[in-house]
Amino acid sequence: MSIFSKVKDRLEDLRRPGYFKKYDHKFTMVIDLDRCNGCGACVSACYAENNLPVVGKEECGKSRALNWIRIERYVEGEYPDVKVKFIPVMCQHCSKAPCETACPVYATYHNQDGLNVQVYNRCVGTFTCATYCPYDARRFNWFTYKREKPLDQQYNPDVTVREMGIMEKGTFCIQRIRAAKDRAKDEKRALKDGDVTPACAQACPTGAMVFGDLNDPESRVSKLAKSPRRFRLLEELNTDPSVIYLKRVMKDGRGTSEE
Amino acid sequence: MKRRDFLKYIGIGGAGTGLGYLFGKVTQSPGNKLIPYLIPPEDIIPGVGAYYATFCTECSAGCGILVKVMDGRARKIEGNPRHPVNKGKLCMRGQAGVQGLYNPDRIKAPMKRSGERGTGQFVEISWDDAVSTLAKNLTELNKKPEQLYLLTSDMRRRGHQHTVASSFMSGFGSPNIIRHDLLGPGNLEFANHASMGLSAIPHYDIENTRYLLSFGADFSSAWLSPVSYGHAYGQMRQGGNGRGKLVQVEPRMSLTGANADEWVAARPGTEGVLSLSIAYAIIEKGLSRAGDAGSWRSALGAYRPSEAAKTVDVSEERIYSLAKEFAQARPSLAISGGNLEGYENGPSCHMAVSVLNHVAGNIGIKGGVIPSPEALASAPHPMTGPKNSLSRFAADAEAGRIKTLIVSGSNPVFTAPKAAKVEDALAKIPFIASFSSYIDETTAYADIILPPHHPLEDWGDEFSEPGAGFAPATVMQPVVSPLYDTKGLGDIFIMVGKAVGGKTAARMPSAEFKDYLRGSWKEMYAKNRAMAAGAPTFDEFWIRTLSEGGWWGAESVKPRCAAVSVHAVKEHLSKSVAAEFEGDEKAYPFYLMLYPQAAMRDGSGALSPWLQEMPDPMTSVVWGSWVEINGKTAASLGISEGDVVSIESPFGKITAQAYLAPGIRPDTIAVPIGQGHRQYGRYAKDRGANPIEILPFKENPKTGQIAVNSTRVKVTKIGNGRLVKQEGAARELGRDIVKTMTPAEFERIKG
Amino acid sequence: MAEGHQKSSMSYKDVNEDIYGIITRSGIGYYIICGLFGAGAAVLFILPWAYQIYVGQGVSGLNVPVFWGIYLVNFVFWVGVAHAGTLISAMLFITQTPWRRAISRGAETMTFFALMLVTLFIFIHMGRPWNFYWTFPYPTQRQLWTNFISPLTFDVFAIGTYTTSSIVFLYFGLVPDLAALSHTASGWRKKLYEFLSFGWRGTDAQWYTQNKACMFFSAFIMPLVVSVHSVVSWDFALSLVPGYSKTVFAPYFVTGALLSGFAGVLLMLSIMREAYPVMKKYVTDYHYDRIGLFVLVLSLMWSYLTLMEVVTGLYANTSQEIEHLKFKLATPPYMQLFILMIFCNTVLPLVYIVRKVRGSVFGRFVVPVLVLVGMWLERYLIIPNSLSRKFLPWMWQDYAPTWVEISISLGTLMMFISMFMMFVKVFPIIALFEVKEDIGVPMKNRKHH
Ligand SMILES: Nc1nc2c(c(=O)[nH]1)N[C@H]1C(S)=C(S)[C@@H](COP(=O)(O)OP(=O)(O)OC[C@H]3O[C@@H](n4cnc5c(=O)[nH]c(N)nc54)[C@H](O)[C@@H]3O)O[C@H]1N2
Ligand SMILES: Nc1nc2c(c(=O)[nH]1)N[C@H]1C(S)=C(S)[C@@H](COP(=O)(O)OP(=O)(O)OC[C@H]3O[C@@H](n4cnc5c(=O)[nH]c(N)nc54)[C@H](O)[C@@H]3O)O[C@H]1N2
Ligand code: SF4
Ligand code: SF4
Ligand code: SF4
Ligand code: SF4
Ligand code: SF4
Ligand SMILES: [Mo]
Repeated sequence: MSIFSKVKDRLEDLRRPGYFKKYDHKFTMVIDLDRCNGCGACVSACYAENNLPVVGKEECGKSRALNWIRIERYVEGEYPDVKVKFIPVMCQHCSKAPCETACPVYATYHNQDGLNVQVYNRCVGTFTCATYCPYDARRFNWFTYKREKPLDQQYNPDVTVREMGIMEKGTFCIQRIRAAKDRAKDEKRALKDGDVTPACAQACPTGAMVFGDLNDPESRVSKLAKSPRRFRLLEELNTDPSVIYLKRVMKDGRGTSEE
Repeated sequence: MKRRDFLKYIGIGGAGTGLGYLFGKVTQSPGNKLIPYLIPPEDIIPGVGAYYATFCTECSAGCGILVKVMDGRARKIEGNPRHPVNKGKLCMRGQAGVQGLYNPDRIKAPMKRSGERGTGQFVEISWDDAVSTLAKNLTELNKKPEQLYLLTSDMRRRGHQHTVASSFMSGFGSPNIIRHDLLGPGNLEFANHASMGLSAIPHYDIENTRYLLSFGADFSSAWLSPVSYGHAYGQMRQGGNGRGKLVQVEPRMSLTGANADEWVAARPGTEGVLSLSIAYAIIEKGLSRAGDAGSWRSALGAYRPSEAAKTVDVSEERIYSLAKEFAQARPSLAISGGNLEGYENGPSCHMAVSVLNHVAGNIGIKGGVIPSPEALASAPHPMTGPKNSLSRFAADAEAGRIKTLIVSGSNPVFTAPKAAKVEDALAKIPFIASFSSYIDETTAYADIILPPHHPLEDWGDEFSEPGAGFAPATVMQPVVSPLYDTKGLGDIFIMVGKAVGGKTAARMPSAEFKDYLRGSWKEMYAKNRAMAAGAPTFDEFWIRTLSEGGWWGAESVKPRCAAVSVHAVKEHLSKSVAAEFEGDEKAYPFYLMLYPQAAMRDGSGALSPWLQEMPDPMTSVVWGSWVEINGKTAASLGISEGDVVSIESPFGKITAQAYLAPGIRPDTIAVPIGQGHRQYGRYAKDRGANPIEILPFKENPKTGQIAVNSTRVKVTKIGNGRLVKQEGAARELGRDIVKTMTPAEFERIKG
Repeated sequence: MAEGHQKSSMSYKDVNEDIYGIITRSGIGYYIICGLFGAGAAVLFILPWAYQIYVGQGVSGLNVPVFWGIYLVNFVFWVGVAHAGTLISAMLFITQTPWRRAISRGAETMTFFALMLVTLFIFIHMGRPWNFYWTFPYPTQRQLWTNFISPLTFDVFAIGTYTTSSIVFLYFGLVPDLAALSHTASGWRKKLYEFLSFGWRGTDAQWYTQNKACMFFSAFIMPLVVSVHSVVSWDFALSLVPGYSKTVFAPYFVTGALLSGFAGVLLMLSIMREAYPVMKKYVTDYHYDRIGLFVLVLSLMWSYLTLMEVVTGLYANTSQEIEHLKFKLATPPYMQLFILMIFCNTVLPLVYIVRKVRGSVFGRFVVPVLVLVGMWLERYLIIPNSLSRKFLPWMWQDYAPTWVEISISLGTLMMFISMFMMFVKVFPIIALFEVKEDIGVPMKNRKHH
């Protein structure tokens, strides 16, 4: 290979978003909005799994709830023709994540599993990632939040407890991914579809959430991702999110054919 | 030993040996407190989670759960994937179960009252003291045992814990078990029994239906079995079986209404009328599948759409089109709950819906109403009725007929209207014992508290409804060792019963509750051949049951068919099925609709900080109460969002902050149930308003169910405020954020 | 040129004594005021900041999604103020504009202290300021490196470079002055001046080198000035946030910075002249005339770019941009603040068209104060305000600063003032040697008129 083409390759590499030529996995969540009924079970599951702190009424009033996932509700029309749409929004694990460019210290970056990871210990709290995140998925530890004893006994030891001054956001339950990978390794096999279920998807009564590896063409998410109902949130921003939504079917919905 | 503690002690040592020595002297030596993991306790592998199967007691649905226990602590609750009710899923309330276990305000030991009744001041005593005090008191009643009352909730599906309580009462010689459960499905059960002859709540096969017509049943939040129905709903929409349609009839858009394809805002109290007029229209158009359509046509003569339209405030054309779609979609299903359950004539409303199902031929078919098989085993299953209702309790207390009261699992001071005068009744009772884990409003009136284990520390079982084709039997087992000096609920009854002696003691199981439970299951096993399949000995069966969480018949039990005859319901439908509301229309212009949310339900969720911080799905409000008012109505009253308004009924007044809801009738306001506690721990206390307070005390004479949607109110602005909610703006502003497609297009892409 | 703005009849001695007088001769009142500002800074800034560090950023009014509030507003504001000083010195040095001489030192000093606040506000706004050094690329065993594509990393370099060069520039100018003053001074000042003047003796070679160095730094700093605020603008412009993501931001920010910088210099000079009437000999109406014209021109440019900023949003015609504009232009109280900003930065500077106004009390005090207010508002209306209306309306949230933020902002302003006042008591606020150039400098072999 000539030096010229090497340089050219290198330059092309640099232009490629993300950090890896090839990801080991491309973890993806598919959320079927036609199933989701907005019940919020996923939200509480995330609290329980990820040691999310309760911040109290006053702080909630300042929009500082530390929820990694929220159910947005959008209303169309006026009484009596009211239409309501729900959408669970969490960190979208954007493959071209604006938050990652923002961080001066690499406290948030992309790992080889296609995840946008947040390194709590490295974060210096500049807020830049959060202002850059178009999905408002990031949450900040405005204080060190303590659980009143003995509520602290339910902390999940698999997940660290964060302290004041640190940014955080949904992780796709990375601890479960790690555990599943370890298990697969112990059993000397490759990770297979269904090995990892994040807490929210596990709880979701309607079965709206499906999680898996988009690199595996046989996985459920790979199949669902081909659905004609697929879309991604604020896709026009070109952040290449790893959360794929399936369109809600509703009367007076916007059909693609009408457009 | 925690590393951090280790370092702390090292640090102290380093700070100065003298100081360290003194420290060691005045406090206990560190070694006494630190548990070495060199020989870890049984079942505890540091850092490795173990999962224990039990069931969720946060509502009566009885979902199977797996509790992740690490280092001896319950860390997280997950659905039990094998359990047929919830299929591994869980609602937000179920997730928060651990917060009841670890709630800082749990009662840690038996207590006796030290302050005025109602103030909630108690001092700890020993179990010996507590049991003997109660036993002594009961012995004094020996001559007149019927002076002992047990105030409990809708415990009928709580298996053997309930059996022991019943045995205790009958052994003692008192028939007086008062049942009070604000949100219990008593009316529905009564109506199903009267109309279809069903003794248990049937399975509403939402999963397989193609057209679901729901009269107020908010199955996505709190109706009957939200997880089970949530799962079924997901399957109905995108289970690959053709997309089912959902039509929701209710004056205030519930979470289920928000997901409906059509939302029909019928006038409050007239849903039953609408149901019957749809039934009439079906027959009129010759679409009925019931053999006895002719007799129904004449029976329903009063509900012609042309006449009903005005009453229900739904146009005649819409009634006909609903009728046509409902009858033609196969299978279709009508369900009723929520606000209907809370009308003063709730049973009639439910029966009207049974009639509709009958006329459309939906009973006993897949995707329709499927009668449940007989439960495997269950405690005697008395319907709540006039004999054991709260009004009887109040009257008996007033007349001095109650000398001793045991409260277990019910909190009527909070969940009954002020007009029921429960507090006055309690004041008249000389001795009150409460078997409660928290100082709730009713326990605050107790003289003595005998705190039971939290269900995650306790033994028990459950035979849950609904369930088609299976009769699940779920076991409750301790997943963590008890945190405090508490006893199993069953064991408390046994202890007290034995201390009382005589017939009561004789009726109590000789062993501990745990062994009694095992014994009872052994009997079930002996009787049930299916249980023996795959488990030749009971010990094997029991171990398997404990590890899997319960037993559910592998074979489906054939559901019995049921039909509704004119004769059966005539009496109930002869009067108008439109519900009545207290309060003059002029003075009190708004219907007041109360509703439970998934998180708080009847208010029992308020002790969990997680649930307090969970945004309400329809308003996103956290940590408080609100009142939903139609935007236009609010504007006409000069009310803007967050304003503090007073809500006044003929029976009282509360204040709450206004939420301008798009999905509510202009003549209706709605307030969630659950906040406004005066006791019940730091997270619940003094937060929001309790709308139950301002209700009339209207008990259904047949079912004893209290009507929560039975009054009109007036609304006045009294101040400004800001509502604490998560929603910034709930409009998309043309951004097309949540993309949608039409059903027609969906059909096309599917093909 | 230079008509009558300096008395050529003045002797070097007069100049030395005038300026040394500024340093040493002030009443107790001056020190009291300086002390009060210092104490104010301690109470209003140090204590609340300590509180914030101890308790957490939650004491501010920041929220989700308004993660950037008035700390960042102050940061950008002070970067702006820092602009004029060095630019005036550098640009006017290169163009050899004589009227710069009397004001350059003051302007550079202002830059120096403004940059101090800039750095301070980076720390103040951080969640974990004790880890600030992680933003520097330094070798560690853990092989952690900084992210060179982050605009914040650009900031670290841009502001770091600008601060370093500004200090060097200021110091180079000070050397001959300190040497000159070391002859007049006594006591600790003398020792300090002698030490800091590094044995400057005023040889031709030294003057030559000093002049060349200043020329080099002037040339170096000019593009830096432009780049620093461009980089700061990229903190915003490189995001996707409606209201931030605009290509016009770099010139817009630079122009705004210069506008606020010049207003700052103007105000500073006016105050100094009141405090030290002797300065009136050096800073004359002529200076006001010139700076006024600068402010006028910059204001016009700024106004044009503001219009462009709005029009770009309108032209994009997305719901995001429109809602953001609605929020900024048509929602109280931001609508009122926007109007106030336009009044301060567009309407008011127009009075400088009238020559007489430029030297009037109104032109010397009122206009610059209001321009500074307007420029602060401009940043306020961009930074927190845009975050209030991002992509997902569900998360829309307003922001209002808390007492901690307001107190820290005021406290740091007081610190700025007190430090400036202290500086004046130690170092010559008017460049001696440059003023002497105006009088005619025999030692220098460069000609002047
Ligand atoms: N029980 C127990 N406690 C200990 C110790 C012990 O051995 N056992 N050791 C002590 C010592 S020496 C140390 S250093 C500390 C370490 O304590 P922690 O810092 O808590 O370390 P870990 O538990 O290894 O990892 C913390 C969490 O980070 C998650 N995680 C892993 N990778 C990523 C990522 O890329 N992004 C994000 N956001 N999360 C990630 C993991 O899933 C895990 O839940 O613990 C101390 N405490
Ligand atoms: N896979 C994986 N590997 C890891 C990590 C991880 O997260 N994952 N974490 C890494 C980190 S952060 C750390 S700190 C290391 C920790 O790794 P190690 O330093 O190996 O820590 P331990 O295994 O906890 O303790 C070492 C030994 O010290 C003994 N010991 C305990 N008390 C005493 C004492 O008082 N005196 C003496 N002499 N011995 C004592 C213990 O019994 C144990 O055998 O592991 C690292 N390795
Ligand atoms: S749990 Fe499932 S159905 Fe409920 S809100 Fe979350 S995604 Fe939607
Ligand atoms: S959603 Fe936000 S936080 Fe998550 S990867 Fe994308 S930009 Fe980053
Ligand atoms: S807040 Fe933390 S993660 Fe976010 S940009 Fe700053 S340092 Fe990086
Ligand atoms: S994937 Fe995990 S971290 Fe992300 S929202 Fe779901 S539960 Fe929370
Ligand atoms: S529906 Fe929810 S609260 Fe009720 S039993 Fe199931 S998980 Fe528990
Ligand atoms: Mo470690």
